[in-house]
Amino acid sequence: MEREQLEFDVVFVGGGPANLAGAIHLKQLAQKAGREVEVCLIEKAEAIGAHSLSGAVLDLKALAELIPDYAARGCPLEETDLRDGVFYLTPRKQVRLPYLPPAMHNTGCAVISLSKFCAWLGAAAEELGVNIFPGFAGVEALYDAGGRRVTGVRTGDKGVGKDGKPKSNHEPGVDLLAKVTVFGEGPKGSLIREIGKKLGIFSGKMPQVYETAVKEVIELPADSPFWDSPFTVIHTFGYPLGLDTKGGGFLYRMKERRISLGLVVGLDYEDPMLEPYREFLRFKHHPLIADLIRGGKVLQQGAKTLAAGGWYTMPQLAVDGAVFVGDSASMLNVQRLKGIHTAMKSGMLAAETVLDAIGKGDLSAAGLRGYAARLEASWIRSELYTARNFGQALSRKGLFKFLHLGAQQVSGGRGFIDPMKTSEDGAALKAGHAAAAAPAPEVDGTLYIDKLTGVYLSGTQHEEDQPCHLVIPDTELCVTRCWETYRSPCTRFCPGQVYEMETAEGGRPRLKLNPSNCLHCKTCEIKDPFKNIIWTCPEGGGGPGYTIT
Amino acid sequence: MNIVVLVKQVPDTESLVQIAADGKSIKKDDIKWVMNPYDELAVEEALRIKEAKGGSVTVVSVGPQKAQETLRTALAMGADKGVHVNDPAAEGGDPLATAKILAAAVKGLPYDLIICGQRAVDEDNYQVGAAVAEFLGIPHISIVAKAEVLDGRIRCHRSIEGGTVVVEAPLPALFTTQRGLNEPRYASLPGIMKAKKKPIEVKTIADLGLDPATVGAAGRKVVIQALRLPPERKAVRMIPGDTPAAAAEELVRILHTEAKLI
Repeated sequence: MEREQLEFDVVFVGGGPANLAGAIHLKQLAQKAGREVEVCLIEKAEAIGAHSLSGAVLDLKALAELIPDYAARGCPLEETDLRDGVFYLTPRKQVRLPYLPPAMHNTGCAVISLSKFCAWLGAAAEELGVNIFPGFAGVEALYDAGGRRVTGVRTGDKGVGKDGKPKSNHEPGVDLLAKVTVFGEGPKGSLIREIGKKLGIFSGKMPQVYETAVKEVIELPADSPFWDSPFTVIHTFGYPLGLDTKGGGFLYRMKERRISLGLVVGLDYEDPMLEPYREFLRFKHHPLIADLIRGGKVLQQGAKTLAAGGWYTMPQLAVDGAVFVGDSASMLNVQRLKGIHTAMKSGMLAAETVLDAIGKGDLSAAGLRGYAARLEASWIRSELYTARNFGQALSRKGLFKFLHLGAQQVSGGRGFIDPMKTSEDGAALKAGHAAAAAPAPEVDGTLYIDKLTGVYLSGTQHEEDQPCHLVIPDTELCVTRCWETYRSPCTRFCPGQVYEMETAEGGRPRLKLNPSNCLHCKTCEIKDPFKNIIWTCPEGGGGPGYTIT
Repeated sequence: MNIVVLVKQVPDTESLVQIAADGKSIKKDDIKWVMNPYDELAVEEALRIKEAKGGSVTVVSVGPQKAQETLRTALAMGADKGVHVNDPAAEGGDPLATAKILAAAVKGLPYDLIICGQRAVDEDNYQVGAAVAEFLGIPHISIVAKAEVLDGRIRCHRSIEGGTVVVEAPLPALFTTQRGLNEPRYASLPGIMKAKKKPIEVKTIADLGLDPATVGAAGRKVVIQALRLPPERKAVRMIPGDTPAAAAEELVRILHTEAKLI
């Protein structure tokens, strides 16, 4: 099929903070230098910000470098009076930590809605002349004839039916060609996965590890005790996950009587019966949290994974014709529970390199080497290098993690073992399917909601008549080995109830997929013990409709 | 064939709608705004007629600055130009007041056919199309599931209880759309690029020669007294049971002992 081709100097794939900051910075630098650069940015969500979900406490460092007068320009910050409280939770009680490690201090940071923040960055980018195309998914990286140089990205077809045949409104995707393509797909991108296979950008690195967050924005009554709380930024660990599963809870103050509440669960958990969504509900029912949120109403809910591997899982940052930024390039600092400022900075450093390389006419991996060099000289390196073993220590069972963390604290991150190894999350599950002992947490439809109500409140919408975007190469495996060994963990790890096991005739289990529920969090592809789920981009414009997360 | 399409920007039906403090309007922040789905059908139909018969498609909208996004979407789908009535005096009108503005805007354009959505999914009034036709003194056919342009006439198929009625009117005429009329096309990426360069004419109430006191909130004859959200439905209760018989037994027990219905 003949596809239309559109040429740009730089194409950014993905409209998150890394790429938006990159596109803005590229335009700023070009303007300063009096150079013309044609820049395009595509995003699979229907609007910029609609798939963006994070805690989020933003370190303002990168933003201040990018847009120094951000406050005057109406940057949507939710809360700037940050007072930290960190609590260890037991099933019924809590203990406040008297001492916070410096990395946990959030003074000078701001609570934001990443969704609103990205929408604002998107508008700023558009003002600078970036061609922004929300609703267009990148489905394939394009290569030159030799197959080693990235030449752009192909957008997905629209108007293809369930049966794979074009409908009357079929609109073929186009080929966006670029001198340099910048991939900022977030954690577990579907394009970078294929690029990794082809060009080996992950080889020799430790496997990436992930965490899944379920988060809500809750509106609280005017007389909620939270408004008198001495803390505006609360972090918890311990219950409900215990000390053997990494992760923890957060509760942040926002504007308009709203709070952000969430639980992050490390995907290296071992119990196949564990259900992150259920743990989130249990967290909400803990007396510390339940008392603070009493009388509230969930306005929006969503889920997203984050790439938590850090320094040692960072891929090769440039190949011929392309660079990788943000969570795609493992820029998150798990020690500080922050990745937005590092993502933005990585995009900005990539932009500086790309403009340089275009000027010099060398867009090969060697020509783009300046990106890694800039990163090495930047504060990203000092942050991430200090935290290089932090996530691995958190993965240690019980109290051992604190020995490692303590040793790292006094040795600039080196600790007892450097580098500490990471291992693939999908391989962590242990066989067995003992039913959970605790009763199912209660739901009331307003403050405590079930998964499907959550999907509804995420604003998720997909064109119903399209091919299933979740590819399960071996469906027989689902009802045999996976069911027998783990009792189908997909039905639990997915926060959107995409996967269900039905009883078919003869009492045999049968997998039923609800791809329209998909929150695009990608937990399934990461946690599936048999690597039997491949996440591909559904028709552009589909997915969550986050506005305040 | 010069075709005019009337479009409106409305909250996406998946948006979480909240009532504002005045009790008479909705909170407009944090809402996703989209082209009214019935207007998408209208744009698509206009483009198909233009592709078959030649001519031009002009899209017209009344609304704040943001409404221009909807005009751009229509231009990206393939419409040729836009007219945007953007004036604070135009805001807050009832269907009749809005129709008066739209009719005045259309009057200045060459047109053989006007197409618009049967209703906007925000307030569901079903009135604007008919009122515009009345102001312009042209025939109006509502809720059309199939349209054929003949020589100087339009033939429309309307679904009615148990069948279809086929009606014809001389052009110029106005018809409103029903689901099933077509499958609206996607705005393509090259289409969006091109749309950036297509003209949108911005007009004020004064430009249209209207008295501001007769349109917008000032010109309202129907006044909204209160808005209420529909009552929240109670959660569904699933009846447990390993077999259909056991579930039925449990259902009977609940109906008898808890609901006391049997």
